[in-house]
Amino acid sequence: MKKVLLDARELAHPKPLEMAIESLREMDGDSYLYMINRKNPVPLISLANQHGFQVLTHQIDDELWHILITKNQENSLQEWLDV
Amino acid sequence: MFDQNGLSLDQAPPIGVVFGLFFMGAIFGVLSGVSILYYGADILSPYTTGAVVFTHIMTLGVMLSFMLGALFQMLPVIAGVVISDPIRKARPIVGMVAVGVVSLLAGFIWGAPWSFIIASVLLGGAIFHTSAMMIPRLYKLTNHSASSRGMLISLIALLITGVFALLLTTAMGGLWDGVGMLYMDVKETHYSFGIFGWVATLIISISFQTVEMFYVTPPYPKFMSRYLPSFILLALVVGATFSMLHLTIAWVGIEILIAIMLILYSITTLYRIQKRKRPLTDATVLFWYLGMGSLLVSMILLLSNFWIHSESIAQIVMVLYGSFALSVLFAMFYKIVPFLTWFHLNSQGYFTAPMMHEVIHPKNAKKHLWIHISLLVSFIIGIFVHQVLILSGVLAIASFGTIAYHIYHAHTLYKDTQANGEKFEFDMPTMS
Repeated sequence: MKKVLLDARELAHPKPLEMAIESLREMDGDSYLYMINRKNPVPLISLANQHGFQVLTHQIDDELWHILITKNQENSLQEWLDV
Repeated sequence: MFDQNGLSLDQAPPIGVVFGLFFMGAIFGVLSGVSILYYGADILSPYTTGAVVFTHIMTLGVMLSFMLGALFQMLPVIAGVVISDPIRKARPIVGMVAVGVVSLLAGFIWGAPWSFIIASVLLGGAIFHTSAMMIPRLYKLTNHSASSRGMLISLIALLITGVFALLLTTAMGGLWDGVGMLYMDVKETHYSFGIFGWVATLIISISFQTVEMFYVTPPYPKFMSRYLPSFILLALVVGATFSMLHLTIAWVGIEILIAIMLILYSITTLYRIQKRKRPLTDATVLFWYLGMGSLLVSMILLLSNFWIHSESIAQIVMVLYGSFALSVLFAMFYKIVPFLTWFHLNSQGYFTAPMMHEVIHPKNAKKHLWIHISLLVSFIIGIFVHQVLILSGVLAIASFGTIAYHIYHAHTLYKDTQANGEKFEFDMPTMS
Protein backbone atom coordinates (compact mmCIF):
# COMPACT_ATOMS: atom_id res chain seq x y z
CA MET A 1 0.00 0.00 0.00
CA LYS A 2 1.27 3.44 -0.94
CA LYS A 3 1.26 5.99 1.87
CA VAL A 4 0.07 9.53 1.02
CA LEU A 5 1.28 11.64 3.93
CA LEU A 6 -0.48 14.85 4.91
CA ASP A 7 1.08 16.56 7.91
CA ALA A 8 -1.47 19.30 8.66
CA ARG A 9 -0.23 20.36 12.10
CA GLU A 10 1.01 23.73 10.90
CA LEU A 11 -1.94 24.41 8.58
CA ALA A 12 -4.90 26.62 9.49
CA HIS A 13 -8.45 25.30 9.18
CA PRO A 14 -9.93 24.59 6.59
CA LYS A 15 -6.73 23.97 4.57
CA PRO A 16 -6.20 20.45 6.04
CA LEU A 17 -9.73 19.50 5.04
CA GLU A 18 -9.35 20.91 1.51
CA MET A 19 -6.11 19.00 0.98
CA ALA A 20 -7.49 15.78 2.47
CA ILE A 21 -10.62 15.86 0.28
CA GLU A 22 -8.45 16.51 -2.78
CA SER A 23 -6.35 13.52 -1.81
CA LEU A 24 -9.44 11.31 -1.37
CA ARG A 25 -10.67 12.32 -4.83
CA GLU A 26 -7.41 11.21 -6.43
CA MET A 27 -6.94 8.08 -4.33
CA ASP A 28 -6.72 4.62 -5.91
CA GLY A 29 -7.36 1.27 -4.24
CA ASP A 30 -3.68 0.67 -3.48
CA SER A 31 -2.98 3.73 -1.40
CA TYR A 32 -4.03 5.28 1.88
CA LEU A 33 -4.07 8.80 3.27
CA TYR A 34 -2.03 9.23 6.43
CA MET A 35 -3.01 12.53 8.00
CA ILE A 36 -1.36 14.03 11.08
CA ASN A 37 -3.49 16.75 12.61
CA ARG A 38 -3.89 18.73 15.81
CA LYS A 39 -7.63 17.99 16.03
CA ASN A 40 -9.96 15.16 15.15
CA PRO A 41 -11.30 16.25 11.71
CA VAL A 42 -14.91 15.16 12.30
CA PRO A 43 -16.34 16.54 9.00
CA LEU A 44 -13.64 14.74 6.97
CA ILE A 45 -14.37 11.48 8.77
CA SER A 46 -18.10 11.94 8.15
CA LEU A 47 -17.46 12.51 4.46
CA ALA A 48 -15.11 9.54 4.15
CA ASN A 49 -17.58 7.22 5.88
CA GLN A 50 -20.44 8.48 3.73
CA HIS A 51 -18.51 7.51 0.61
CA GLY A 52 -17.54 4.08 1.89
CA PHE A 53 -13.89 4.67 2.78
CA GLN A 54 -12.26 2.73 5.59
CA VAL A 55 -11.27 5.16 8.37
CA LEU A 56 -9.10 4.85 11.45
CA THR A 57 -8.46 7.66 13.93
CA HIS A 58 -5.89 7.44 16.67
CA GLN A 59 -5.43 10.11 19.35
CA ILE A 60 -1.87 10.49 20.62
CA ASP A 61 -2.64 13.35 23.02
CA ASP A 62 -4.84 16.47 23.27
CA GLU A 63 -2.99 18.11 20.41
CA LEU A 64 -2.09 15.23 18.12
CA TRP A 65 -4.22 12.89 16.01
CA HIS A 66 -3.28 10.34 13.35
CA ILE A 67 -6.01 9.69 10.77
CA LEU A 68 -5.80 6.93 8.18
CA ILE A 69 -8.24 6.69 5.27
CA THR A 70 -8.32 4.26 2.36
CA LYS A 71 -10.64 2.86 -0.30
CA ASN A 72 -9.16 -0.56 0.29
CA GLN A 73 -11.56 -2.61 2.41
CA GLU A 74 -9.40 -5.75 2.61
CA ASN A 75 -6.38 -4.61 4.64
CA SER A 76 -6.81 -3.37 8.18
CA LEU A 77 -5.59 0.19 8.58
CA GLN A 78 -4.30 -0.64 12.02
CA GLU A 79 -1.24 -2.33 10.54
CA TRP A 80 -0.25 0.94 8.81
CA LEU A 81 -0.55 3.02 11.95
CA ASP A 82 2.86 4.52 12.62
CA VAL A 83 3.06 5.14 16.39
CA MET B 1 -7.52 5.51 21.63
CA PHE B 2 -8.59 3.62 18.52
CA ASP B 3 -11.76 4.46 16.78
CA GLN B 4 -13.02 2.78 13.64
CA ASN B 5 -15.36 5.67 13.04
CA GLY B 6 -18.95 5.06 12.07
CA LEU B 7 -20.05 8.65 11.55
CA SER B 8 -22.21 9.54 8.59
CA LEU B 9 -23.00 12.78 6.84
CA ASP B 10 -26.24 13.41 8.66
CA GLN B 11 -23.97 14.01 11.65
CA ALA B 12 -22.12 16.78 9.84
CA PRO B 13 -23.26 20.31 10.68
CA PRO B 14 -26.71 20.84 9.15
CA ILE B 15 -26.60 23.71 6.67
CA GLY B 16 -30.35 24.49 6.76
CA VAL B 17 -30.42 24.77 10.55
CA VAL B 18 -27.33 26.94 10.85
CA PHE B 19 -28.30 29.24 7.94
CA GLY B 20 -31.88 29.51 9.25
CA LEU B 21 -30.78 30.59 12.73
CA PHE B 22 -28.15 33.00 11.38
CA PHE B 23 -30.68 34.56 8.98
CA MET B 24 -33.20 35.03 11.77
CA GLY B 25 -30.48 36.66 13.89
CA ALA B 26 -29.66 39.02 11.02
CA ILE B 27 -33.32 40.02 10.57
CA PHE B 28 -33.63 40.76 14.30
CA GLY B 29 -30.37 42.71 13.94
CA VAL B 30 -31.98 44.90 11.28
CA LEU B 31 -34.92 45.33 13.67
CA SER B 32 -32.48 46.43 16.39
CA GLY B 33 -31.34 49.24 14.07
CA VAL B 34 -34.97 50.26 13.49
CA SER B 35 -35.52 50.31 17.28
CA ILE B 36 -32.49 52.61 17.73
CA LEU B 37 -33.96 54.99 15.13
CA TYR B 38 -37.41 54.83 16.76
CA TYR B 39 -36.48 55.11 20.44
CA GLY B 40 -33.30 57.23 20.11
CA ALA B 41 -31.57 57.99 23.42
CA ASP B 42 -34.27 56.11 25.37
CA ILE B 43 -32.41 52.87 24.65
CA LEU B 44 -29.63 54.13 26.95
CA SER B 45 -31.86 54.50 30.04
CA PRO B 46 -32.30 51.06 31.62
CA TYR B 47 -35.89 51.54 32.80
CA THR B 48 -37.46 52.82 29.56
CA THR B 49 -39.50 50.70 27.17
CA GLY B 50 -36.99 51.52 24.43
CA ALA B 51 -34.08 50.10 26.43
CA VAL B 52 -35.95 46.91 27.35
CA VAL B 53 -37.09 46.40 23.73
CA PHE B 54 -33.63 47.07 22.28
CA THR B 55 -31.88 44.88 24.86
CA HIS B 56 -34.15 41.90 24.21
CA ILE B 57 -33.94 42.23 20.42
CA MET B 58 -30.15 42.09 20.79
CA THR B 59 -29.87 39.38 23.43
CA LEU B 60 -32.68 37.07 22.33
CA GLY B 61 -33.35 37.93 18.69
CA VAL B 62 -29.75 38.43 17.59
CA MET B 63 -27.40 36.73 20.04
CA LEU B 64 -29.53 33.71 20.98
CA SER B 65 -30.16 33.00 17.27
CA PHE B 66 -26.50 33.36 16.26
CA MET B 67 -25.25 31.41 19.26
CA LEU B 68 -27.68 28.54 18.73
CA GLY B 69 -26.63 28.48 15.06
CA ALA B 70 -22.98 28.34 16.12
CA LEU B 71 -23.78 25.57 18.61
CA PHE B 72 -25.48 23.43 15.97
CA GLN B 73 -22.36 23.89 13.84
CA MET B 74 -19.84 23.32 16.61
CA LEU B 75 -21.39 20.41 18.53
CA PRO B 76 -20.62 17.77 15.91
CA VAL B 77 -17.36 19.33 14.75
CA ILE B 78 -15.56 20.15 17.97
CA ALA B 79 -17.44 18.12 20.57
CA GLY B 80 -18.27 15.07 18.44
CA VAL B 81 -21.88 15.27 19.65
CA VAL B 82 -24.34 13.74 17.23
CA ILE B 83 -27.85 15.12 16.89
CA SER B 84 -29.66 12.83 14.51
CA ASP B 85 -32.22 14.41 12.18
CA PRO B 86 -31.14 17.90 13.25
CA ILE B 87 -33.33 19.77 10.75
CA ARG B 88 -36.56 18.29 12.09
CA LYS B 89 -35.45 18.90 15.67
CA ALA B 90 -34.18 22.43 15.12
CA ARG B 91 -37.04 23.77 12.97
CA PRO B 92 -39.38 24.29 15.95
CA ILE B 93 -36.62 26.25 17.70
CA VAL B 94 -36.46 28.79 14.86
CA GLY B 95 -40.25 29.23 14.91
CA MET B 96 -40.50 29.42 18.70
CA VAL B 97 -37.68 31.97 19.04
CA ALA B 98 -39.06 34.13 16.20
CA VAL B 99 -42.66 34.28 17.46
CA GLY B 100 -41.55 34.25 21.11
CA VAL B 101 -39.31 37.31 20.73
CA VAL B 102 -42.01 39.21 18.81
CA SER B 103 -44.56 38.36 21.54
CA LEU B 104 -42.16 39.47 24.26
CA LEU B 105 -41.52 42.77 22.46
CA ALA B 106 -45.28 43.26 22.04
CA GLY B 107 -45.63 42.68 25.77
CA PHE B 108 -43.00 45.29 26.58
CA ILE B 109 -44.49 47.82 24.14
CA TRP B 110 -48.24 47.38 24.81
CA GLY B 111 -48.13 45.75 28.23
CA ALA B 112 -50.61 43.02 27.27
CA PRO B 113 -50.32 40.15 29.78
CA TRP B 114 -51.19 37.50 27.15
CA SER B 115 -48.10 38.55 25.14
CA PHE B 116 -45.87 37.66 28.09
CA ILE B 117 -47.64 34.33 28.48
CA ILE B 118 -47.16 33.45 24.78
CA ALA B 119 -43.52 34.59 25.02
CA SER B 120 -43.05 32.47 28.16
CA VAL B 121 -44.39 29.35 26.46
CA LEU B 122 -42.47 29.82 23.20
CA LEU B 123 -39.14 31.11 24.45
CA GLY B 124 -39.21 28.79 27.44
CA GLY B 125 -40.08 25.96 25.06
CA ALA B 126 -37.20 26.85 22.71
CA ILE B 127 -34.66 26.98 25.54
CA PHE B 128 -35.91 23.78 27.22
CA HIS B 129 -36.10 21.96 23.89
CA THR B 130 -32.53 23.00 23.03
CA SER B 131 -31.28 22.09 26.50
CA ALA B 132 -33.02 18.71 26.44
CA MET B 133 -31.49 18.01 23.02
CA MET B 134 -27.92 19.07 23.81
CA ILE B 135 -27.21 18.85 27.56
CA PRO B 136 -27.71 15.06 27.99
CA ARG B 137 -25.60 14.33 24.89
CA LEU B 138 -22.79 16.55 26.14
CA TYR B 139 -23.09 15.17 29.66
CA LYS B 140 -22.71 11.59 28.41
CA LEU B 141 -19.43 12.31 26.59
CA THR B 142 -16.73 10.12 28.07
CA ASN B 143 -13.81 12.04 26.61
CA HIS B 144 -14.44 15.75 27.24
CA SER B 145 -12.38 18.47 25.62
CA ALA B 146 -12.14 21.94 27.15
CA SER B 147 -14.63 23.11 24.52
CA SER B 148 -17.23 20.39 25.05
CA ARG B 149 -17.05 20.83 28.83
CA GLY B 150 -17.47 24.60 28.44
CA MET B 151 -20.39 24.19 26.03
CA LEU B 152 -22.14 22.01 28.59
CA ILE B 153 -21.63 24.69 31.24
CA SER B 154 -22.88 27.47 28.97
CA LEU B 155 -26.03 25.47 28.14
CA ILE B 156 -26.67 24.91 31.86
CA ALA B 157 -26.31 28.68 32.31
CA LEU B 158 -28.76 29.25 29.42
CA LEU B 159 -31.25 26.93 31.11
CA ILE B 160 -30.92 28.81 34.42
CA THR B 161 -31.25 32.14 32.54
CA GLY B 162 -34.44 30.78 30.96
CA VAL B 163 -35.89 29.63 34.29
CA PHE B 164 -35.36 33.07 35.86
CA ALA B 165 -36.75 34.74 32.72
CA LEU B 166 -39.88 32.60 33.05
CA LEU B 167 -40.29 33.74 36.65
CA LEU B 168 -40.30 37.33 35.38
CA THR B 169 -42.47 36.91 32.27
CA THR B 170 -45.11 34.74 33.96
CA ALA B 171 -45.33 37.31 36.75
CA MET B 172 -45.72 40.07 34.14
CA GLY B 173 -48.33 37.89 32.43
CA GLY B 174 -50.34 37.93 35.64
CA LEU B 175 -50.08 34.18 36.20
CA TRP B 176 -48.74 34.69 39.69
CA ASP B 177 -47.30 37.40 41.91
CA GLY B 178 -44.75 35.22 43.64
CA VAL B 179 -41.75 37.19 42.43
CA GLY B 180 -42.98 40.12 44.55
CA MET B 181 -40.23 41.56 46.67
CA LEU B 182 -37.64 39.33 45.00
CA TYR B 183 -38.29 40.94 41.58
CA MET B 184 -35.02 42.88 41.41
CA ASP B 185 -33.01 39.92 42.74
CA VAL B 186 -34.54 37.61 40.14
CA LYS B 187 -33.91 40.19 37.41
CA GLU B 188 -30.25 40.62 38.39
CA THR B 189 -29.75 36.86 38.59
CA HIS B 190 -31.44 36.44 35.17
CA TYR B 191 -29.19 38.86 33.34
CA SER B 192 -26.02 37.88 35.20
CA PHE B 193 -26.47 34.26 34.12
CA GLY B 194 -27.37 35.41 30.59
CA ILE B 195 -24.48 37.85 30.14
CA PHE B 196 -21.69 35.98 31.90
CA GLY B 197 -22.94 32.40 32.13
CA TRP B 198 -24.44 31.88 28.68
CA VAL B 199 -22.78 34.45 26.39
CA ALA B 200 -19.27 34.62 27.87
CA THR B 201 -18.78 30.92 28.64
CA LEU B 202 -20.05 29.82 25.23
CA ILE B 203 -17.68 32.19 23.42
CA ILE B 204 -14.82 31.21 25.73
CA SER B 205 -15.47 27.49 25.22
CA ILE B 206 -15.64 27.75 21.46
CA SER B 207 -12.51 29.90 21.40
CA PHE B 208 -10.47 27.21 23.21
CA GLN B 209 -10.65 25.12 20.07
CA THR B 210 -11.36 27.48 17.19
CA VAL B 211 -8.70 30.14 17.84
CA GLU B 212 -6.07 27.44 17.85
CA MET B 213 -7.57 25.62 14.87
CA PHE B 214 -8.26 28.63 12.63
CA TYR B 215 -5.11 30.62 13.30
CA VAL B 216 -2.59 27.97 14.43
CA THR B 217 -1.85 29.57 17.78
CA PRO B 218 -0.22 28.11 20.89
CA PRO B 219 -2.81 26.26 23.03
CA TYR B 220 -4.50 28.04 25.95
CA PRO B 221 -2.97 27.38 29.39
CA LYS B 222 -4.44 24.14 30.77
CA PHE B 223 -5.76 25.70 34.00
CA MET B 224 -7.67 28.29 31.98
CA SER B 225 -9.20 25.96 29.41
CA ARG B 226 -10.10 23.41 32.07
CA TYR B 227 -11.45 25.58 34.86
CA LEU B 228 -12.52 29.04 33.61
CA PRO B 229 -16.10 28.18 32.47
CA SER B 230 -16.74 26.09 35.63
CA PHE B 231 -15.39 28.90 37.79
CA ILE B 232 -17.70 31.46 36.17
CA LEU B 233 -20.73 29.19 36.66
CA LEU B 234 -19.78 28.51 40.28
CA ALA B 235 -19.38 32.25 40.95
CA LEU B 236 -22.82 32.90 39.43
CA VAL B 237 -24.46 30.16 41.52
CA VAL B 238 -22.91 31.67 44.68
CA GLY B 239 -24.12 35.14 43.62
CA ALA B 240 -27.64 33.87 42.91
CA THR B 241 -27.81 32.06 46.27
CA PHE B 242 -26.83 35.19 48.19
CA SER B 243 -29.18 37.24 46.05
CA MET B 244 -32.16 35.04 46.94
CA LEU B 245 -31.27 35.66 50.58
CA HIS B 246 -31.54 39.41 49.85
CA LEU B 247 -27.76 39.78 50.06
CA THR B 248 -27.66 41.50 46.64
CA ILE B 249 -24.39 43.17 47.61
CA ALA B 250 -22.78 39.77 46.95
CA TRP B 251 -23.16 40.47 43.22
CA VAL B 252 -20.56 43.22 43.52
CA GLY B 253 -17.95 40.73 44.67
CA ILE B 254 -19.02 38.19 42.06
CA GLU B 255 -18.87 40.76 39.24
CA ILE B 256 -15.40 41.87 40.34
CA LEU B 257 -14.24 38.25 40.36
CA ILE B 258 -15.73 37.48 36.93
CA ALA B 259 -14.40 40.75 35.47
CA ILE B 260 -10.86 39.84 36.59
CA MET B 261 -11.24 36.37 35.03
CA LEU B 262 -12.48 37.85 31.76
CA ILE B 263 -9.61 40.36 31.69
CA LEU B 264 -7.13 37.49 32.06
CA TYR B 265 -8.96 35.51 29.37
CA SER B 266 -9.03 38.42 26.88
CA ILE B 267 -5.31 39.17 27.40
CA THR B 268 -4.49 35.47 26.96
CA THR B 269 -6.50 35.30 23.73
CA LEU B 270 -5.01 38.52 22.33
CA TYR B 271 -1.53 37.18 23.07
CA ARG B 272 -2.32 33.90 21.34
CA ILE B 273 -3.70 35.56 18.23
CA GLN B 274 -0.64 37.80 18.16
CA LYS B 275 1.56 34.68 18.25
CA ARG B 276 -0.33 32.88 15.47
CA LYS B 277 1.66 30.98 12.89
CA ARG B 278 -0.70 31.94 10.08
CA PRO B 279 0.59 35.37 8.98
CA LEU B 280 -2.56 36.45 7.10
CA THR B 281 -4.64 39.14 8.82
CA ASP B 282 -8.09 38.65 7.36
CA ALA B 283 -11.37 40.14 8.60
CA THR B 284 -11.94 37.26 11.03
CA VAL B 285 -8.62 37.92 12.81
CA LEU B 286 -9.54 41.60 13.11
CA PHE B 287 -13.02 40.70 14.42
CA TRP B 288 -11.30 38.58 17.11
CA TYR B 289 -8.94 41.44 18.00
CA LEU B 290 -11.90 43.82 18.21
CA GLY B 291 -13.95 41.38 20.28
CA MET B 292 -11.18 40.68 22.77
CA GLY B 293 -10.15 44.35 22.93
CA SER B 294 -13.78 45.29 23.61
CA LEU B 295 -14.03 42.69 26.39
CA LEU B 296 -10.79 43.86 27.97
CA VAL B 297 -11.77 47.55 28.03
CA SER B 298 -15.35 46.71 29.04
CA MET B 299 -14.21 44.75 32.10
CA ILE B 300 -11.59 47.33 33.10
CA LEU B 301 -14.29 50.03 32.96
CA LEU B 302 -16.70 47.79 34.89
CA LEU B 303 -14.14 47.48 37.68
CA SER B 304 -13.34 51.21 37.60
CA ASN B 305 -17.02 52.07 37.83
CA PHE B 306 -17.34 50.44 41.24
CA TRP B 307 -15.43 53.52 42.44
CA ILE B 308 -16.44 56.14 39.85
CA HIS B 309 -20.22 55.41 39.69
CA SER B 310 -20.75 57.01 36.28
CA GLU B 311 -23.89 56.24 34.28
CA SER B 312 -22.05 56.95 31.01
CA ILE B 313 -19.30 54.47 31.89
CA ALA B 314 -21.94 51.85 32.75
CA GLN B 315 -23.44 52.42 29.29
CA ILE B 316 -20.03 52.14 27.59
CA VAL B 317 -19.44 48.88 29.49
CA MET B 318 -22.63 47.42 28.01
CA VAL B 319 -21.89 48.68 24.47
CA LEU B 320 -18.36 47.22 24.60
CA TYR B 321 -19.63 43.95 26.01
CA GLY B 322 -22.09 43.77 23.11
CA SER B 323 -19.21 44.49 20.76
CA PHE B 324 -17.25 41.62 22.34
CA ALA B 325 -20.07 39.14 21.70
CA LEU B 326 -21.04 40.39 18.23
CA SER B 327 -17.46 40.74 16.96
CA VAL B 328 -16.64 37.15 17.91
CA LEU B 329 -19.95 35.91 16.48
CA PHE B 330 -19.19 37.70 13.21
CA ALA B 331 -15.69 36.18 13.15
CA MET B 332 -17.31 32.76 13.54
CA PHE B 333 -19.95 33.60 10.93
CA TYR B 334 -17.31 34.38 8.28
CA LYS B 335 -15.66 31.03 8.97
CA ILE B 336 -18.82 28.93 9.27
CA VAL B 337 -20.95 30.05 6.30
CA PRO B 338 -18.33 29.63 3.53
CA PHE B 339 -17.11 26.39 5.11
CA LEU B 340 -20.57 24.82 5.40
CA THR B 341 -21.51 25.76 1.82
CA TRP B 342 -18.25 24.38 0.43
CA PHE B 343 -18.19 21.29 2.62
CA HIS B 344 -21.77 20.17 2.01
CA LEU B 345 -21.43 20.59 -1.75
CA ASN B 346 -18.13 18.69 -1.74
CA SER B 347 -19.56 15.92 0.35
CA GLN B 348 -22.44 15.66 -2.10
CA GLY B 349 -19.82 15.25 -4.82
CA TYR B 350 -20.09 18.51 -6.78
CA PHE B 351 -16.99 19.26 -8.85
CA THR B 352 -18.26 22.77 -9.43
CA ALA B 353 -18.75 23.62 -5.77
CA PRO B 354 -17.75 27.25 -5.18
CA MET B 355 -14.51 27.82 -3.31
CA MET B 356 -14.87 29.32 0.13
CA HIS B 357 -13.70 32.78 -0.97
CA GLU B 358 -16.41 32.72 -3.65
CA VAL B 359 -19.14 32.19 -1.06
CA ILE B 360 -18.15 35.31 0.88
CA HIS B 361 -15.22 37.22 -0.56
CA PRO B 362 -12.68 38.27 2.10
CA LYS B 363 -12.90 41.87 0.82
CA ASN B 364 -16.64 41.91 1.53
CA ALA B 365 -16.02 40.58 5.04
CA LYS B 366 -13.56 43.43 5.58
CA LYS B 367 -16.11 45.99 4.35
CA HIS B 368 -18.52 44.63 6.94
CA LEU B 369 -15.82 44.91 9.59
CA TRP B 370 -15.56 48.65 8.89
CA ILE B 371 -19.35 49.07 9.14
CA HIS B 372 -19.24 47.19 12.45
CA ILE B 373 -16.38 49.35 13.81
CA SER B 374 -18.22 52.51 12.70
CA LEU B 375 -21.33 51.27 14.53
CA LEU B 376 -19.34 50.72 17.71
CA VAL B 377 -17.67 54.15 17.55
CA SER B 378 -20.94 55.95 16.73
CA PHE B 379 -22.72 54.15 19.58
CA ILE B 380 -20.10 55.26 22.10
CA ILE B 381 -20.19 58.85 20.80
CA GLY B 382 -24.01 58.62 20.84
CA ILE B 383 -23.93 58.07 24.61
CA PHE B 384 -22.66 61.66 24.92
CA VAL B 385 -24.15 63.23 21.75
CA HIS B 386 -27.57 61.60 21.37
CA GLN B 387 -28.13 62.78 17.78
CA VAL B 388 -25.32 60.48 16.65
CA LEU B 389 -27.51 57.50 17.57
CA ILE B 390 -29.39 58.08 14.30
CA LEU B 391 -26.16 57.11 12.54
CA SER B 392 -25.87 54.08 14.84
CA GLY B 393 -29.35 52.95 13.84
CA VAL B 394 -28.53 53.24 10.13
CA LEU B 395 -25.20 51.44 10.62
CA ALA B 396 -26.88 48.62 12.59
CA ILE B 397 -29.33 48.13 9.72
CA ALA B 398 -26.42 48.16 7.23
CA SER B 399 -24.37 45.75 9.35
CA PHE B 400 -27.06 43.11 9.82
CA GLY B 401 -28.42 43.70 6.32
CA THR B 402 -24.94 42.77 5.04
CA ILE B 403 -25.03 39.57 7.10
CA ALA B 404 -28.50 38.72 5.77
CA TYR B 405 -27.28 39.30 2.21
CA HIS B 406 -24.25 37.03 2.72
CA ILE B 407 -26.51 34.21 3.94
CA TYR B 408 -28.90 34.73 1.02
CA HIS B 409 -25.97 34.73 -1.43
CA ALA B 410 -24.44 31.56 0.08
CA HIS B 411 -27.80 29.81 0.04
CA THR B 412 -28.41 30.81 -3.61
CA LEU B 413 -24.96 29.50 -4.61
CA TYR B 414 -25.68 26.28 -2.73
CA LYS B 415 -29.02 25.73 -4.44
CA ASP B 416 -27.68 26.72 -7.89
CA THR B 417 -24.81 24.25 -7.57
CA GLN B 418 -27.20 21.51 -6.50
CA ALA B 419 -29.44 22.29 -9.47
CA ASN B 420 -26.80 22.73 -12.19
CA GLY B 421 -23.45 21.51 -10.81
CA GLU B 422 -21.36 18.66 -12.17
CA LYS B 423 -20.81 15.71 -9.87
CA PHE B 424 -17.75 13.57 -9.32
CA GLU B 425 -17.61 10.10 -7.79
CA PHE B 426 -15.06 8.80 -5.33
CA ASP B 427 -14.91 5.63 -7.55
CA MET B 428 -14.88 2.95 -4.92
CA PRO B 429 -13.23 -0.34 -5.97
CA THR B 430 -15.51 -3.33 -6.34
CA MET B 431 -15.50 -5.54 -3.26
CA SER B 432 -14.05 -9.00 -3.89
